[in-house]
Amino acid sequence: MLVWSKRGRAGAWLVFGILAGVVYGLPAAVILCASLARSWNGVLPSGLTLGHYAQAVSGSSGAALEASLITGVVASALAVLNGTAAALALRRMEGMPRRVLDAVFFLPSAMPSVSIGLGLLVAFSRPPILLNGTIAIVFAAHFVLISAFTFGAITAGLARLSPDYEQVAASLGARPIYRLRRVTLPLVLPYLIAAFSLSFALSMGELGATVMVYPPGWVTMPVQIFGLSDRGDVFHAAALTILLAASTLAALASVSLVPARSAAR
Amino acid sequence: MGESASGSASGSALALARPANLPAPSASLAPSSLGIVPPLAVLGIFFFYPFVLILGQSFFSSHGTLSLAQYAEVLGTGLFRNALFHTITITLSATAGCLALGLSLSIVIAFVPFPGARIVSRMIDTFIALPTFLVALAFTFIYGTAGLLNGAAMSAFSLSLPPIDFLYSQWGVILAEVTVYTPFVMRPLLASFSLIDQAEIEIASSLGARPFRILRQVIVPAALPALMAGGSLCLLLTTNEFGIVLFIGAKGVQTLPLLIYDKAIQEFDYSSACVLAAINIALSLGFYALYRSTLAWLGKRGAGLV
Amino acid sequence: MNSAAARGIEAGSVDSQLADLAAASLAKEAGAQGAGGIGFEGVTVAYKGSIVLADFTLAVRPGEVLALIGPSGSGKTTALRAVAGFVRPVAGRVSVGGRDVTDLPPHARGIGMVVQNYALFPHMRVAENVAFGLRARHAPETEVRAQVESCLAMVGMAAFGRRYPRELSGGQQQRVAIARALAIRPDVLLLDEPLSALDAQIRHAMIEELARLHRSLPALTVLYVTHDQSEALTLADRIGILRDGRLRALGPSRELYRRPPNRFAAEFLGGANLLPVVIETPDAGNGFSEVRFGTTRLRALRPEGAAAGETRLLCIRPHNLTFVPGDPAANTVLARVHEVRWKGELHDLTLEAEGRTLRLASVPLRAPPEPGAVVSAYFAPDEATLLADEGDG
Repeated sequence: MLVWSKRGRAGAWLVFGILAGVVYGLPAAVILCASLARSWNGVLPSGLTLGHYAQAVSGSSGAALEASLITGVVASALAVLNGTAAALALRRMEGMPRRVLDAVFFLPSAMPSVSIGLGLLVAFSRPPILLNGTIAIVFAAHFVLISAFTFGAITAGLARLSPDYEQVAASLGARPIYRLRRVTLPLVLPYLIAAFSLSFALSMGELGATVMVYPPGWVTMPVQIFGLSDRGDVFHAAALTILLAASTLAALASVSLVPARSAAR
Repeated sequence: MGESASGSASGSALALARPANLPAPSASLAPSSLGIVPPLAVLGIFFFYPFVLILGQSFFSSHGTLSLAQYAEVLGTGLFRNALFHTITITLSATAGCLALGLSLSIVIAFVPFPGARIVSRMIDTFIALPTFLVALAFTFIYGTAGLLNGAAMSAFSLSLPPIDFLYSQWGVILAEVTVYTPFVMRPLLASFSLIDQAEIEIASSLGARPFRILRQVIVPAALPALMAGGSLCLLLTTNEFGIVLFIGAKGVQTLPLLIYDKAIQEFDYSSACVLAAINIALSLGFYALYRSTLAWLGKRGAGLV
Repeated sequence: MNSAAARGIEAGSVDSQLADLAAASLAKEAGAQGAGGIGFEGVTVAYKGSIVLADFTLAVRPGEVLALIGPSGSGKTTALRAVAGFVRPVAGRVSVGGRDVTDLPPHARGIGMVVQNYALFPHMRVAENVAFGLRARHAPETEVRAQVESCLAMVGMAAFGRRYPRELSGGQQQRVAIARALAIRPDVLLLDEPLSALDAQIRHAMIEELARLHRSLPALTVLYVTHDQSEALTLADRIGILRDGRLRALGPSRELYRRPPNRFAAEFLGGANLLPVVIETPDAGNGFSEVRFGTTRLRALRPEGAAAGETRLLCIRPHNLTFVPGDPAANTVLARVHEVRWKGELHDLTLEAEGRTLRLASVPLRAPPEPGAVVSAYFAPDEATLLADEGDG
């Protein structure tokens, strides 16, 4: 406790309430209202409708929803696979090589998303690998962008795993593959799930790289929302945004449903 | 990792009890470091190869000769200087705003806690994962020309033109970025606040210090590394922010990422885009290096905070 | 100072000592109300709906060292934090030096405080830590420097002003914490388990150090919260024992130890043997009563309002029991040796008499009895008190 007087505390809370309300509460409330409003000409919206949501799950918006979900799952699965392999291998290394490689796997998080999109566009519009115009280039963009976060989450999970378990398994004669399959992976599974959820949430909201590389027919939700709001179809955009936010939150909330293991140090 | 003394002791004790006909456990948990090759190769193809191509394109002219001509050409344009100016102004202002807002909100959550403060601090992780343009869209409803504030002002004062137009200047972008990136400051800040011994604050007040003195002399110095980590992360993220600038679509507010997008997608001018991307990447890597080194100073592995 | 008065009395019977002591403290209480005593009047503190300190009334006299002891959760730390201003009573008043401070914020109370884990500001040098309170009061810089120097010298840390807390040992950090608390020249010093983070050897040295410090600052009122009874017995003029948020016993340290007022005080302070006895002769002469423990007749200090046939608890300290060779003599208990443990400076024996367990602490014995042997254990009648049998305390 820093402020002991009741008046001082009340003042601090009032300032907090106003700041948090204006900066966070108001935008969230406004989007939610807009997604349900028939029209909004004055201070308050008028007319309640679910029509924007009906629009948002059908037609081109429905397709965008589907494209985003598929992209999110594919890119996150790839990122978890790759990140787990990297984190497990790095765990066995020490000193300089480990620090350097650690930094290498974190590097994509330092890159501007638009530049990553540009790089993929430049690299895969020419032989030997031609991906431009395919869905795969969207997957690749999302994979690269989220890979550092996935790797970070898995590394953090592995770091909390006591080496005792694997040492005991080894002393009992378990070979590396068996040990990995029966001891290490089951113990870090909660962290893998958490990493997947975080990756999925990030992929759902990705815009910068996607607008650079997306082929016609694979419009993700953020691109679709931008298109709608650019055309002035803001209520429809608001409804789609609420759906996007809801699926992101659902992905994150699913993490807390995974029971925490006592294997952590 | 390294084997701890107790670990190897229990290991050898178990080894003694092991029947002779079982295979010997491998001496080390690290049979080889070759496992790193496949993930590194994947990253190489999809990240480093495009990265090298961007750099290459930026240095080679269309005739295939090495030159700085393209840089000279791009750097000379007013468009570039305008974008660089806006990028830097927006980055610095938004970061300053994030630090001020993040510090204020975190102090109340951590040191003047109210019922529900813990729930609020847990929601921060959620904010971080939401798409950034969500805020930009909300701002158009609130502060936009047909938005709620202008609507209210126009009907209240019977104006014919919307009086509030800051959203379509760089200030709109800055305000939106402050909203989006403040949680990134709050997360390390709250973590470092939680490490401050509450007894320190109590002792300081029993010694006669008022709240502002305690803030200035006890709390902020202790949280300085976290503040710097959050600040450098904000520098990195606001430099590269794309969605907010695109959504607000303010005329004349051009940033580097937006200019790259325009050049590549609208004008198909890949070589200029690559030069701009190289500059943007260099700026970004500089902030990233700053962020990593403050993290190292903070004494935490970067993993949890990326 | 009260403890000095107590130490001065060496001769005389127990009763006259206690009478003198009581007189001395009464005189003190009447005399120096202006200086920094601490007053609790019906202080009640609730935390998350449960009462952690209930109707707590206590007057700490100016210049006195009063220790509050009790098991964890007994409310002793809460009482101390109510003085500092970190918890707000739901009822009652707290006063310091006769001034009601119940509604004052902590920074306006002028109280020195030292806590278990020192809470030194890690980013400030030792001298800056000590200067903190003075600078908060905007004291002139020359005065700050002089006061920091003298306070660090007082705790023997004069050479460490430029160091950071992390460069000091636990004992050194505790000295700095004390210097920091004393630098603002408080009338009242609150010590919250100040030594429990230190290892045994340093703790003993620090107890001596604190006693010396108080001799050099006789006007300083000290409220000392601890769970360690030996710290309390060594340092405090008076001890208050708390349990479940209530004050269960209060008195000068020696009196409380030698003549505990109730079962909880007897067990918590010094771990007494408690034997159920029946009073045979309430007044057996010389201020003693005669009681029956099983078939054995014993003498103990006569309690107030004792009547024949009443059941009481006979309270004897383990170190007041001694072996007597040969046949059972007067005031001895015949007991079977159950366990013999040698603890270096003493022998700790567990005995069994009339189905009850007795502890006997003795100077190291050359030929300790074997387990199973039958021995006679003697105690002086004036070392034994009779307590009301109030069940489980």
